[in-house]
Amino acid sequence: MYRRSLGAHVRASLEYEADFWILVFGVGLSQCVGLVFIGAVFAKVPHINGWGLWEVVLMYSMMTIGQGCSELFAEGSWDLPMLVNRGELDRMLVRPYPVILQVCSFRLGMNAFGTLAVGTVLLVTALARLHVHWTPARAAIALLVFASALVVKVSLTVIANASAFWLRGTISTFAAGADQLGDLTRYPLTIYGVGLRAFLSTAVPFAFVGFFPAAWVLGHGQSAWVGLLTPLAAAYCVTVAVLAFRFGLRRYDSAGN
Amino acid sequence: MDEPLIRARALTKTFRRPDKGPGLAGSARHLITRKYTEHHAIDGIDLDVAAGEAVAYVGRNGAGKSTTVKLLTGILVPSSGEVRVAGVVPHQDRIANARNIGVVFGQRTQLWWDLPVRETFTLLRDMYRIPPERYRATLARLTEVLDLGPLLPVTGRKLSLGQRMRADLAAALLHEPPIVYLDEPTIGLDIEVKDRVREFLRDLVANGTTVLLTTHDLGDIEDVCRRIVIVDGGRIIHDGPLAAVRDELARERSMHVQPAVPVDLAAIRAALPGTEVSGEPGEFSIRFDRFAYSAGQVAAAVMGLAEIRDFRIDEPGIEDVVRRVYEGGLVESPTGAPA
Amino acid sequence: MPSVAMRPYLAIARISWRSALAYRIPFVLSLCMMVFNLLAMLSLWRVLLASGHPLAGFTWPEMRAYLLVSFVTGCLVSSFTDFTMAFRIQSGLVALDLTQPVHYQRARFAQCLGMTVLESATAAVVCGAALAAFGAIPVPALPQLALFLVSLVAVVPLKFLIVYSSGLLCFWTHNYLGVSFARAAVSAVLSGALVPLVFFPGWLRILAEVLPFQGIASTPALIYLGQASGWDAVRLIGIQLLWIAVLWAGASAAWNAALRRLTIHGG
Ligand SMILES: Nc1ncnc2c1ncn2[C@@H]1O[C@H](COP(=O)(O)OP(=O)(O)OP(=O)(O)O)[C@@H](O)[C@H]1O
Ligand SMILES: [Mg+2]
Repeated sequence: MYRRSLGAHVRASLEYEADFWILVFGVGLSQCVGLVFIGAVFAKVPHINGWGLWEVVLMYSMMTIGQGCSELFAEGSWDLPMLVNRGELDRMLVRPYPVILQVCSFRLGMNAFGTLAVGTVLLVTALARLHVHWTPARAAIALLVFASALVVKVSLTVIANASAFWLRGTISTFAAGADQLGDLTRYPLTIYGVGLRAFLSTAVPFAFVGFFPAAWVLGHGQSAWVGLLTPLAAAYCVTVAVLAFRFGLRRYDSAGN
Repeated sequence: MDEPLIRARALTKTFRRPDKGPGLAGSARHLITRKYTEHHAIDGIDLDVAAGEAVAYVGRNGAGKSTTVKLLTGILVPSSGEVRVAGVVPHQDRIANARNIGVVFGQRTQLWWDLPVRETFTLLRDMYRIPPERYRATLARLTEVLDLGPLLPVTGRKLSLGQRMRADLAAALLHEPPIVYLDEPTIGLDIEVKDRVREFLRDLVANGTTVLLTTHDLGDIEDVCRRIVIVDGGRIIHDGPLAAVRDELARERSMHVQPAVPVDLAAIRAALPGTEVSGEPGEFSIRFDRFAYSAGQVAAAVMGLAEIRDFRIDEPGIEDVVRRVYEGGLVESPTGAPA
Repeated sequence: MPSVAMRPYLAIARISWRSALAYRIPFVLSLCMMVFNLLAMLSLWRVLLASGHPLAGFTWPEMRAYLLVSFVTGCLVSSFTDFTMAFRIQSGLVALDLTQPVHYQRARFAQCLGMTVLESATAAVVCGAALAAFGAIPVPALPQLALFLVSLVAVVPLKFLIVYSSGLLCFWTHNYLGVSFARAAVSAVLSGALVPLVFFPGWLRILAEVLPFQGIASTPALIYLGQASGWDAVRLIGIQLLWIAVLWAGASAAWNAALRRLTIHGG
């Protein structure tokens, strides 16, 4: 049902083919901005706090792919403020399907294709340059860790947007800001102070999207093992997202008519 | 023991409205003081609806009709009181409840805005897990009675109001729910579509579906419902058979008259004892009991006093019903909770 | 009398400020969140410049100043302007704007100025906090400071026009999101907001020089740092003003073309 809803949106969006390419282009371009930055910096320095160019690109690509997944699977959550504010959530509440999934599939972020394309190219290139020593077990764990990392990112997007139940605005600026918080973790976490590092790895665990998984795959640094906790972080985020919706819906007031 | 299909006890819903002064200063002050006014949209409602019943739920604007429907459907969580619908507490077990009900909000579409109607239906089929056979049969039937054929390939946002309403009705009934809530399903429709919708609802009730119908149009309920519940200020002020209300209402008519030259209203009052005359000498209304006078008698009496330029006879509306209830004009039913 | 002609625009500016305030929580929080980007940049450059060796001519205090100035210019003219505009164009509500007895472009500018009041206030608060956390920045001498302020003020109309022109593209494409992403990406790179333009290879730097974007971040930042001083600074400000004139005229022409399209095709 979730898949079908998204599929229907793809078809609807493809009606405007030119627009689709504009979006993919624009999104691809915006994902490259950070890359330009990384390129410009690494043209002048060999490493940032001990992290080399391709190591940083690996983290960056994980964040990008995570973002793409959010756009693919949770884009509708950006409409939550509007749905709550105008009482449009009513129709989802009278349907026998979890509201959180109905909201997430309410819209499809066509930008996902641009984002995912850029992210995948970066990930593959970075892994190819990095000479990771792959064994079957390592590959299997890496797959699990990366998949969990993406779940973390998608859930965090949903959680940020669930704030709409409490904030009651019509636009998701808060969520957009919270999402930007994730951009902090496009760079090695070690550049930040202790407080911020702790914040980004526990309360709002964006560090589990790119940094910790990448550090684990690379075996880089003393805390590389933390990457193995990514599935736990994913479980934590999903739980919070579900609870946020459960409590949020209790506050839901519908609209006057 | 037979529990009614829908059962509400002392149901209340209180909205909090931010108490903001006007302008910037008001906003700023609100930021600090955070004052709210409590607004009791629903204020202690007891309602039982048996399986197969068709209930008209009427009242003035803002009486709390839509809010009641939202409480019964699990959209809103009640501030206090109990609800059970088919043994399920709607806001607690929302998904189980959703399978039992079909909902139409006349003022708001439930169709997917950017999808063709047919896609919306297939989505709903999957959401309600309707078996393919059943789905085909139901869709065929609904397509026929609601004349949906030409609408199926059209995108939701491109439908006209009447087309949208028909598609919405079908969308709410695809899974053949035993309970159907209709909140103003004929709002803004022209006579022809209205008739079609009313006929459709009549069939629905005849087939044993439990229906709760909210409307401002007394015409909607006459054919469809046998019981009428009247709400005002969030409370039920009357609950009883529709026939009684109809008889009572059928008594009263209003004739609006524009005489060619102003007449003395006192003379008209004298000519028609027992009626209520209001207005100006140049344009006035006469309220009369249909069993005491016929419209012809009233018109004749007026014509005896002045030449009539124009006149019109009004049937009573919801507002009159509510007024009559307050005047004690309606017989209280045993379950009715007087305000 | 100019004040009478100005009145509707003042009203628009006031309303836009008010509507931002009505959604104060999301608004304030979103601007706070922009801080995180600043924080990332400051943290990163602190590490990179910790050794005391300047990179591309930037020491840590200078880079701090550069980042703060480009943060302030980044706060001005947020994307409220173009997104509300895009929404109104695509939903057809622009027809209502057309019935108002005001010049559309000037009205949007007034709207943007209303927001700017709030944006600058917030930017100032954030800068104060950043200064406290990361250390003070060099303050230029008075004449240079004056030049800086002029170039900073010029950022508002220039950035508005860039945002506004891209918003007008909604008349030709249904997908404003893509356009706005592309615009934001291009302007982030070519304005020098991302990283000072000297970090770029020669060809990219030349491209940035001939386009209007450098005027919305690089120009005020370089003037502040004194890396562009005297006639050099005046020249850069001249380029800003030139672009403002060119874009204002260009956008007006585009608006008229869009209007013809709107009236012919019925939106
Ligand atoms: N989401 C809400 N927030 C605050 N107040 C509300 C909300 N929904 C309804 N109300 C208030 O509750 C009261 C009842 O509203 P409701 O929509 O139930 O009326 P109604 O009987 O359906 O009226 P109508 O005939 O106009 O549709 C009204 O006074 C309304 O202002
Ligand atoms: Mg209502």
